[in-house]
Amino acid sequence: MPDQRGFRLGCDIGGTFTDFVLIEDSTGTLRTQKCLTTPADPADAVEQGLRALDAEVPGVAAALDEVIHGTTLVINAIIERKGAKTGLITTAGFRDVLELGREIRYAPYDIFARFPEPLVPRRLRVEVDERVDAAGQVLRPLDRERAREVVRGLLAQGVESVAVCLINAHENPDHERLLEQVLGEEAPELSVSISSKVLPQIREYERTSTTVTNAYVRPLTGRYLSRLDARLRTLGFNGKLFIMLSSGGVTSAQTAAEAPVRVIESGPTAAVIAGQYYGRQFGISEMFCFDMGGTTAKSCLIQGGEAGVVPTFEVGRVQRFMKGSGLTIQVPVVDLMEIGAGGGSIARVSTMGTLQVGPRSAGAEPGPACYGRGGVDPCVTDADLLLGYLDPGYFLGGEMPLDKEAARRAVAQEVAEPLGVDPLKATWGIHDLINETMAAAAKTHIAEKGGNPRLVTVAAFGGAGPVHAYGLARKLGAPRLLVPPIAGVGSALGFFTAPRAYDLVRSHKAPLLGADFAHIEGLFRDMEQEGVRALQAEAMADQVSFSRSVDARFVGQGAETSVPLPDGEFAAMAPEELRAAFDRIYEKLYGRTYPDSPLELVSFRVRAALPDRPLRLPTLAPGRGATSALKGQRPAYCPEAGGFTDHEVYDRYALGAGDAFQGPCIVEERESTVVVGAGAAVSVDDHGFLWIDLPARQEVDHE
Amino acid sequence: MSKALDPVTLEILWQRLISVVDEADAAVARTAFSSLLRDAHDYTCMFTDRRGRELAQGTFATPGQSGAMALGIKALVARLPDGYCEPGDVYITNDPWALAGHLNDVCVMSPIFHRGALAGFTACVFHHADIGGRVSSDNHDVFEDGLFIPLVKLHAAGVENEAVLELIKGNVRTPEEVVGDIRSQIAANHVCAAQVCQMLDDYQLDGLDGLADEIIGRTERSMRRAIAAVPDGQYEAEGRIEQPAGREDLLIRARVTVAGEEVLVDLDGSSPQVGWGGNVVYNFTYAYVFMAIKSMLDPEIPNNDGCAAPIRVEAPEGSVVNCRFPAAVAARMQIGHFMTEIVYRAMADALPDRVLAGSGGTPATMNVFYGQRADGTPWHTVLIRGGGMGADAAHDGEHCYIFPANGANTPAEILESDTPLLVERRELLPDSGGPGRQRGGLGRRVVFRIPDDLPGPVRLGIQSGRFRLPPEGLRGGGDGAMARFEIDGEAGDPYGLTELPPGARVVMDAAGGGGYGDPRQRDPEAVARDTREGFITAAGAREDYGVALDPETGAVDLERTQKLREEG
Repeated sequence: MPDQRGFRLGCDIGGTFTDFVLIEDSTGTLRTQKCLTTPADPADAVEQGLRALDAEVPGVAAALDEVIHGTTLVINAIIERKGAKTGLITTAGFRDVLELGREIRYAPYDIFARFPEPLVPRRLRVEVDERVDAAGQVLRPLDRERAREVVRGLLAQGVESVAVCLINAHENPDHERLLEQVLGEEAPELSVSISSKVLPQIREYERTSTTVTNAYVRPLTGRYLSRLDARLRTLGFNGKLFIMLSSGGVTSAQTAAEAPVRVIESGPTAAVIAGQYYGRQFGISEMFCFDMGGTTAKSCLIQGGEAGVVPTFEVGRVQRFMKGSGLTIQVPVVDLMEIGAGGGSIARVSTMGTLQVGPRSAGAEPGPACYGRGGVDPCVTDADLLLGYLDPGYFLGGEMPLDKEAARRAVAQEVAEPLGVDPLKATWGIHDLINETMAAAAKTHIAEKGGNPRLVTVAAFGGAGPVHAYGLARKLGAPRLLVPPIAGVGSALGFFTAPRAYDLVRSHKAPLLGADFAHIEGLFRDMEQEGVRALQAEAMADQVSFSRSVDARFVGQGAETSVPLPDGEFAAMAPEELRAAFDRIYEKLYGRTYPDSPLELVSFRVRAALPDRPLRLPTLAPGRGATSALKGQRPAYCPEAGGFTDHEVYDRYALGAGDAFQGPCIVEERESTVVVGAGAAVSVDDHGFLWIDLPARQEVDHE
Repeated sequence: MSKALDPVTLEILWQRLISVVDEADAAVARTAFSSLLRDAHDYTCMFTDRRGRELAQGTFATPGQSGAMALGIKALVARLPDGYCEPGDVYITNDPWALAGHLNDVCVMSPIFHRGALAGFTACVFHHADIGGRVSSDNHDVFEDGLFIPLVKLHAAGVENEAVLELIKGNVRTPEEVVGDIRSQIAANHVCAAQVCQMLDDYQLDGLDGLADEIIGRTERSMRRAIAAVPDGQYEAEGRIEQPAGREDLLIRARVTVAGEEVLVDLDGSSPQVGWGGNVVYNFTYAYVFMAIKSMLDPEIPNNDGCAAPIRVEAPEGSVVNCRFPAAVAARMQIGHFMTEIVYRAMADALPDRVLAGSGGTPATMNVFYGQRADGTPWHTVLIRGGGMGADAAHDGEHCYIFPANGANTPAEILESDTPLLVERRELLPDSGGPGRQRGGLGRRVVFRIPDDLPGPVRLGIQSGRFRLPPEGLRGGGDGAMARFEIDGEAGDPYGLTELPPGARVVMDAAGGGGYGDPRQRDPEAVARDTREGFITAAGAREDYGVALDPETGAVDLERTQKLREEG
């Protein structure tokens, strides 16, 4: 029984499984657990998993310093429209901001393309007579008693949560605060979200949409987190509960409950955070983090150990994966790319008589044909099985036997026969085409970030990630592949490495020459104080460090470029110094800059962060040579040979530090299988990472 | 070749082609200078085989540009003399008749050489905010529209032709931005060409010809199958389009002949070209006819030369839909955007489930505001907007989109922060959607206020429409509400250049979309819901839909509704 603290638990609630990783900080020992997600109350699965771990390490619940948690609860509430009945109070004349959006059609040739319904219907959007101009001056004052009448009218409609978003409130929040007070007087228990707090940034649609989404999920997030906290306490847990933010930081449960809109992409972020950590740990300048599960593949380019963070994303896309078809949310989120490619992606014949794989997915039910649960559509996993990459008797460590005949039938009937190609061609085609789809998306993503696919190290996560990462890496022309230990659930490891950080932003437009630097210094300090408040549940104020940045642009330009600021007072900075920093970054990003064009400052950002807590990874015993980990051989498809060849099959758990071997081969572990192609060299490092060097790229072979 | 191009390999190569163009697209977002490109995505990248046949275009291409380019680049390539192309060449032109119909759409095009042999061409068209000239829709000829660049070599065998750049710089108001964007076009083409060559190497292909034949052939067959499913026959429609005050309505006649696997759209009988900027070149007319046919019949197939092959358009030369040089063309969208809905109307009886009623965002609205601030400094801004979309057989029209073109609005807060203008209202207009079994999308009111403290008037140029002729309903559906333009409560002239004095209040209502089907067949519950949400008024429910609602609860009064509907 552990007699002291020093344990941390990471827990990632996914669509199908809830993954757990327990770490003992003093030794770096890792333990994993996986159980089915319980959608009715996700806390059930968390309790179940912790009980199982407590059985393995008695008393561990009480010895936990921290539980760090990522969840899809918030995003599911939005997608399934299960949030609170929400009202919106806005400026007279702007009731329809939410419905008008940005007016762009995301599928130019599809005239039947639909758009998402606003989260607040028109009848629950009410107006108050007030107006602030772009400089923050009050043009029409807000009368408190008339505001009260509007509030009462809205409350009479039975709303559980209210969003307040007034025009130009990012420049002057006084009227929003007045409404907040009146709401507090009229309904002290009501959940209230104020745009000047949730997103004090210019652009009324984006700010309204974000504030309304926050209001929509706030009641249920608060209820869930307090219930989860209570459940953990009954098991003896008396540490701190943290929540993963979409931006890649973690924050206290209390802060998350206030701003649940920042938790939406909580789940998929974990693998990226793990990747970021490995990128820094191993000094990899460009890493492509690749997390492939049952229905989607999520990936992200990590440069210099940092994943990009973008200020905006979409949720609840009406047409899955179609950019522009969702609700816009403007909070910082890790810049990951998600496409409809997973083990469950369905293969079919297109109207043009070619093979098509995905984005439609068989999901977990009925799942691929080989699951034997009534699925008849051939899926990527069926192809992977038929190609010999998966062992029908060792899927999920043997817990789930796979039906090879069902897979064969599905591929033959639905793909090979209609296309008139032989079954092997069709089977390899499914595997190869999903890789091509992912590679195409990856190249675009990498190009947008200014990276080079031929220099990246691909890091594989997720159940299907290690099966497809080799093929993906080849198509990218990437020289190296990294498979971390426990890759199948390893994304939950990312929780331990996530910075405890909170991002803040204020919009305030000013020309560079003529900006009031002292006023801006005040904005920065306000944000820093707010950052301390957000983090204080976790640490003392003096442990918090800040990094500041400015978003600037050429006057008249539509988009801004972010310029990190050096430490020290902004007020003491010379405008020329800021100008030079902007020009350097602009030139690097876009090839050239225009030093004579005047600049303006648009937004100011602060990241408040606590010191990183180092993660100690377990050390592997030295190996006794790879042959001692050999399980046997089986025929698997080798694209280099154009047919089946014998592949060595290794047991990942029997490999030791320093072991090295050659492809083509297969490395099996419980939650995933690593496929290695011909000519590749595999080595195992001290921490159990597999490093796979791909043979120098000649030309991609085609039979 | 044939060995490599089984259906599986072909799909892999095809995906690769599309990703190549999307990579070029991404390069634009990183290198372009103007926000019209980076934010509104008003540009199109594509590439062709060595004969100029389009193979792939960017996923987010703009219909007017992409449709016109597919034709235009092919014709340009056919015109190049033998031996004209050398590695390192870059060509530039903004000839409206060669490409996308107005001078602002500048095309930069480069040959792709692979192992020393010409393999194809890569091209992109960017909408440049500035091309010099007199910025107005009432120009008399294309020379007033701005700088005309015939096809010339911008780079010859890798050497920049400085004279061309200097000439362009000397003729535009914002030379740095224009030249910066042209360099971004060169960069996009470079990315595209390099990726095409890489693909040819990866797959050990000698050139694009065989692949092009397969891709274009399969796409063409798919489009032909889709056309063959339409009953043979001639389908006709007429469209009336209003013109500036004092001019008669224009008439567009469309006769759509479906014969087997081919479609011919004959515009014979359409009005002659006009003495202002509304003239449409053939390519732009084709682009929006093509938009109609593709969106009706086969919206999902990727765009390439094959889609267009079975679709022919005949337009009499010298007509407003096939104007002759040197007609003024700057306001071509005011006429050209109508082509899509006129074709829909012709096909409405044959394909009732595949068409939209008239849309309030046809044509798109563009506002150019400029003036001086209180401190005397000049300002200038361009806004684009749509209106209510037309309903279709299964759906109510969406509110407020530009259709059949596309683009984004400018947030009120951005406008107020960039200019002295104030936005007093921006809201949906109740009862503006055409009544129908499926209701048209609502139009939108925008109210601008000119601040009192400006030193002089603000000037406003408008490109728009639907002030006298509303978006029409289909198959029994009612018309959408018309557009309006008012200054201080008085009707203004939406087609001229308007002076707005300090303190003026400007109301601009966008038209609503047309309804689809008999409004009296609309589900009374849907009418009650629309009334609850304020999309229609109780009076609208009664008069347009024959639905009586309980004044207290807003619930449907079935008995009175039945009576109202029987009375018809």
